[in-house]
Amino acid sequence: MKSSKRALLFLILVLAAGCGSGGSSTPSVTGGNEAPASNVLPITVNGSLCSPSTSAFYLNKPCVSITICNPGTSTCQTINDILLDTGSFGLRIFKSVLSSDISLTQVASGSGSLAECAQFGGFSEWGPVQLAGVALAGEPTVTVPIQVIDPTFANISTSSTSTICPGADQGPVSAGFSGILGVGVLSQDCGSDCVTNSNIGIYYSCNGSTCSGTKVGLSSQVQNPVAFLPSDNNGVIVELPSVPSNGSPSVNGILVLGIGTKTNNVPSGVTTYNTDIFGEIITILTGTTYSSIIDSGSNGLFFTPPSTGLLPNCASNPTWFCPSSATTLSAENEGASGSPSGEVFFQIGNFDILTSSSNMVFSNIGGSSPPGLFDWGLPFYFGRNIFVGIQNTSSSLGTGPYFAY
Amino acid sequence: MKRKLCALFLGFGLLMAAQQVHATLGETADSVTTDRKAISAVRGATTVHTGYTVQEIVSDAVTVREYISPSGVVFGIAWNGLSSPDLTLLLGFYSGEYRKALQQTPRMRGRRFSQIKTDHIVVEKWGHMRNLRGRAYVPSLIPQGVTVDEIK
Repeated sequence: MKSSKRALLFLILVLAAGCGSGGSSTPSVTGGNEAPASNVLPITVNGSLCSPSTSAFYLNKPCVSITICNPGTSTCQTINDILLDTGSFGLRIFKSVLSSDISLTQVASGSGSLAECAQFGGFSEWGPVQLAGVALAGEPTVTVPIQVIDPTFANISTSSTSTICPGADQGPVSAGFSGILGVGVLSQDCGSDCVTNSNIGIYYSCNGSTCSGTKVGLSSQVQNPVAFLPSDNNGVIVELPSVPSNGSPSVNGILVLGIGTKTNNVPSGVTTYNTDIFGEIITILTGTTYSSIIDSGSNGLFFTPPSTGLLPNCASNPTWFCPSSATTLSAENEGASGSPSGEVFFQIGNFDILTSSSNMVFSNIGGSSPPGLFDWGLPFYFGRNIFVGIQNTSSSLGTGPYFAY
Repeated sequence: MKRKLCALFLGFGLLMAAQQVHATLGETADSVTTDRKAISAVRGATTVHTGYTVQEIVSDAVTVREYISPSGVVFGIAWNGLSSPDLTLLLGFYSGEYRKALQQTPRMRGRRFSQIKTDHIVVEKWGHMRNLRGRAYVPSLIPQGVTVDEIK
């Protein structure tokens, strides 16, 4: 009841600020039923902002609500069930969730339309790049290239037999979200390599049903909308509460826009870990060195155990760990250059036992991954405020790209 | 004869700069020459390990490492870069069964990892936007004494 009231107030604020002509109110964020500040988006992990239709059996799913508008107009739509993802860059929304009022502006590529195969490791999204007015919290609406996820765009087949984007997500239910808000440490999803090369395999120019690889300037690439804000544009803070060791049905937190730009986002007592050009830092666990990411879009702690037998896979869910008892480990995180370094204690519980309850949110679930990458997923965020500094911007924490906590 | 050619090719591999090169999973390393027009890549370093040789090829989008057994067969490939390479080419003979398995493997939500297993091969993709990683291997062709996690 409380949270639905708050969500309603928030929605009204977003609509007023994002789609109206005024919208300069800046109420403070003091909890209760007051509307959040203009730079604050509520996050629900498996809560009311996540759509039940896309969230079944999806643990640790952080959802936010965003508003998109036809560029330069007050015709807008507020969309929930947007996955908060600090591991990617740019906003992507399934075409199937857009209302018939929404008509975005196609980005041209030569004589064709710009389209993209955005790739995320285990999955990919296909669809055109279009300009949208994007309203985040009560911030002024900014016009940004986003990806409209549409597996049928240009009639290419994204089935497994396609040569362009084979296996791309077919819809919100199988993907597990209505859209993704990529607010990681970089500004664009591809960057300079797509400016100079047409054969990267990400951007395509499509004429009718013929698509071919194309170069794309930085300003036409799908990009982190936070970097476009008139202020509060140097990064975000993800603030999520602690979760009991046996889990929780859902938790609520906030995404604060800007670092040190307002009274509600001033950092204190955190260590800055600069990333490399890929957005990676370094993690050392029991003598093994990994590249690592701090990624809200991953729903567990994923890594190759440093020794066999330490964290056995579950018999029935072999992609998750099932130690016989909860195992506490200590790792060291380092900036990409090797400093600073800081110790991290974390726990891996028995996935089968933990998930035998109806709880959906866990701070202590993990699974094995091929070698080389340590993925600090959402469990790392619980009980911490994580600062995500965007490349080429600065704050009192330094110059991005960085994570700080 | 093929094997000899292949050894010869590997031996001179480092000298053959700026060539378009490519080899195919499960085939002999001289598929490098037959398929080299297929993708725009140049030869990178060749390194010798206990039990296998790794031959690197580098394109604008991705670096591919090919794991070649002492008998000259490509038993694994691994890659990292901005996008996944065209697996239709790299999986060669196995690409049909891979596609079929891809269609039948459910999407793991919340993961930046996918694993596709067919009767003969394993294909894994992981990583994140800007630095995608992956590997494909034929378990039955991995030389004795070599572990899967050396393919990375």
